[in-house]
Amino acid sequence: MIAAESVSAATDSASIEGKYVYCIIRNDRLREFGEIGIGSGARVYTVNHKDLAAVVSDTPIVIYDPTRENVLAHEFVNETVMREFTLIPMSFGTIFRSENDVRALLNSTYQAFTDVLDKMQDKIEFGLKILWDRDSVVAAIERDNDEIRRLKDEITRNAASSTYFARMQLGRLVEAAMEEASNRYVNDIHEQLKDVSVASRSSKVIGDRMILNAAFLVDRKDEKAFDERVKAISLQYEDLLTFKYTGPWPPYNFVNIKLKLEKAT
Amino acid sequence: MGLLTNILLAPFLGPVWGTRWTLEKVDRVVRDELTDDTPIKEDLMALQLQLEMGEIDDDEYVRREAEIMKRLREVREWREKFGMSTSGGPVRVAESGEPDQ
Repeated sequence: MIAAESVSAATDSASIEGKYVYCIIRNDRLREFGEIGIGSGARVYTVNHKDLAAVVSDTPIVIYDPTRENVLAHEFVNETVMREFTLIPMSFGTIFRSENDVRALLNSTYQAFTDVLDKMQDKIEFGLKILWDRDSVVAAIERDNDEIRRLKDEITRNAASSTYFARMQLGRLVEAAMEEASNRYVNDIHEQLKDVSVASRSSKVIGDRMILNAAFLVDRKDEKAFDERVKAISLQYEDLLTFKYTGPWPPYNFVNIKLKLEKAT
Repeated sequence: MGLLTNILLAPFLGPVWGTRWTLEKVDRVVRDELTDDTPIKEDLMALQLQLEMGEIDDDEYVRREAEIMKRLREVREWREKFGMSTSGGPVRVAESGEPDQ
């Protein structure tokens, strides 16, 4: 469970109860989602305004560190809610001081929330990270690229006399060929996933082995087709690429409502 | 100070101006560095990936995550000192209301 030291008290009023908001859904009745909230399984319930509801749990007024434990707690609630509802995820760590402040959010952002909920109706997100094995890719390039193969053979044959320049030249050619290969793989994968997804968004790659870090928005009815397509592609690239495939997620990367919020003192 | 004073005192003031300008610039660079959490978040994502790929074990993850959380908190403290916005903590709807979409 989440220990007290995993959160840092922001103020000396840490004992005051606040409302941690996980997501916004469309529901005109009060709902309970069980004791699954952030901070040792707090009770998760809704705060309602007209036909909108914020899914919340009680929390001390603290700043939650984005530790794996805390982030997983946040995501677990959203996954649970997602089984029944289309949802707009709130960013991690959003806390309001009272139910009234939460209602003020639902009221002031009513139209934007409604529009986005309509747009996201029955849409889910999948994450796809693709890493390559540098050695296998280089081997494939040396096998398929005549110019590189010839230059490499030459350097190996005349190991003693081959110049620094020739080695530099080989290095440059391999680098260029790798970049070209990376683009080719990524484009091909995007192309193959196009007709089973609604949209995609690429984020910055993490580390030097990753060539794709993308999120795909998928219609629930296409979930199986998307799934099967990803599996087929990962088989196709089995020897070269490693696929990290996650989901379904709420549409974290496809909802962008800039809320006008200020610090509540 | 008039133009004349500037000219008369130029040899003395010159280096002082120079120093002040440099300090301001250094100040800004240091401040940007102290208040930017982007590289820390990238480190956190890289760490998570290492765990997912089985390159590090759970203990190692927990240890390094604690270091990263410490750095994040330090950036937050600096941002508060400089009066910059921070994420997390209690919020409410701003007076001006209407959100951008």
